[in-house]
Amino acid sequence: MKIDHRKLQSRIPGTGDFIKIDNSRCTQCDRCLVICVMNLWKKRGDTVYIVDDYTSHCLECGACAQVCESDAIEFRFPAGGTGIVIEQG
Amino acid sequence: MNEYDIVIVGAGPGGSTAAKEAAEKGLKTIFFERGRKPGNKNSSGTGLGPRLWREFDFMKEINSDDCPSIREGRAARNYMIDNDGKVTGYIMTTPTASVEYEPAKSWITLNCYRSDFDPWLAKYATDAGAELKTSTLITGLLKEDGKVVGVIDEKGEKYRGLVIGADGAVSMVAQQSGLRKRWGQKQVTLTLQYDFECSASKIDDVMGDEALAVWWSATFPAAYQVFFNSSFHIGLGNWMTWWDKNPVHYLNKVINLDYMQRLIRVLEAKPREFQAHLLPWMGTPENTHTDNVILIGDAGGFPCPLEAEGIYPAMVTARAAIDAAAEAISAGDTSKDFLSIYDMKWKATSVGEDFKSGPELQSIWMALPFSPRKSMSWFVPMFMEILGGIIDWSEPHPVRIRQIARSLKKYLPQAVPFIMQEVLPLLTSVLGEEKMEMLTDPAKLMAEMPEIQEAMMQAFMDAPKEED
Repeated sequence: MKIDHRKLQSRIPGTGDFIKIDNSRCTQCDRCLVICVMNLWKKRGDTVYIVDDYTSHCLECGACAQVCESDAIEFRFPAGGTGIVIEQG
Repeated sequence: MNEYDIVIVGAGPGGSTAAKEAAEKGLKTIFFERGRKPGNKNSSGTGLGPRLWREFDFMKEINSDDCPSIREGRAARNYMIDNDGKVTGYIMTTPTASVEYEPAKSWITLNCYRSDFDPWLAKYATDAGAELKTSTLITGLLKEDGKVVGVIDEKGEKYRGLVIGADGAVSMVAQQSGLRKRWGQKQVTLTLQYDFECSASKIDDVMGDEALAVWWSATFPAAYQVFFNSSFHIGLGNWMTWWDKNPVHYLNKVINLDYMQRLIRVLEAKPREFQAHLLPWMGTPENTHTDNVILIGDAGGFPCPLEAEGIYPAMVTARAAIDAAAEAISAGDTSKDFLSIYDMKWKATSVGEDFKSGPELQSIWMALPFSPRKSMSWFVPMFMEILGGIIDWSEPHPVRIRQIARSLKKYLPQAVPFIMQEVLPLLTSVLGEEKMEMLTDPAKLMAEMPEIQEAMMQAFMDAPKEED
């Protein structure tokens, strides 16, 4: 059974970034790439980055910042009333 | 400036309970929710344990008009999955004869979506007079002379009062008050789950009174399945140190078990929503408060150390926090020192009782169900050798008993260290060292049980004498 889990969400679009990476702090441990269930972290050469349209996919779990021991990832929640809406949680 | 006695960040089960208790004590209270309504941002296992009904009278009022997702059930099913991903057996359990009170005698959990439960609970707080502000993200703590005196929302609006951090695993309050930058990687898990929709009558027919199932496995960390009125969750989690592949890989392993696929077909179930969240899970909550700040529920690290039940501890610690806050406010002292009464208060609750053996409980869960390759790979076949071996007609029964005994011997190199490292420390913590010593010292054990001594004596006396 193939489930496209990336399509199984509702959200209210918001504006503004709520996740940032400071590449000067990143040690390329790649934990964020492994842990993100929506596969929003990518690596090009030696640079880890988050995909441009992450605000349309992020589940706001905060796992990326939790595993980032080098404090490179800054995570806060999107503006009140926007972002993921969990209807059957 | 908006002046309050109590300012609560978060309107989940902890935040709403705190708001209700505070308002009932006559404290001027506000609580904030970043979603458009409480529950909008929450997913969880959502099993409400019977202890909630013993602790909170209003739980008796929960009903399926307000919360249509409700399903309660008396049975839990435990599937055993071997190294090849096959279900090799299952056991259904119901409340045992030693369970002492209602509703625990009637059912093990009542399952209810957070999108139903959280707004239902928040209404008790607003009815009691607490003010709820939704669609509002609290972005910072208001500080004076380096000390927290309130919170600031995303629009710069300030709210003054004693701050209750009920803002979950990723707690801004914990971070900005200096209580914690982030969790240790073995203090928090990532939990992900699918919601499947299906008809209520199918669940009634196929699952009967089963409210939940645990899929104990050698190929993925123990997964849970929770049945609602016309849907179910299937999910799993593990500590942040465990994941070697994307967590979705492991969840899809559960979904794609032949047995699960058959169940999905029979229930005519369809995947509807995918959710993920961090779930704090630790042996000992620490740094629970500081000057003018108290952390409750997930924000304070209070989910049960054994299996991470979160709603009950959130509501119990909320009550303890408001008790402590009310005393602090009336004494005119909300310093960290004074607020240490919070630790005394929650430790005196049933949540505190769980954490008395917290490190041992967490450790055994980490070592067994959440170590599928290391532990469940021998535990499942060993367990099933005993269970499955008894119901077997392949040989005469005495031959089978000897075969099973021989087979069990090969698991001893794994089972014995596990018992020494995990089971004995847990038993010592639960029973106390004195009783434990009695159990492990044959002479003391005999002294406590004269009839065994008698039987042993007779067995030896009756035994044929050694030949010279």
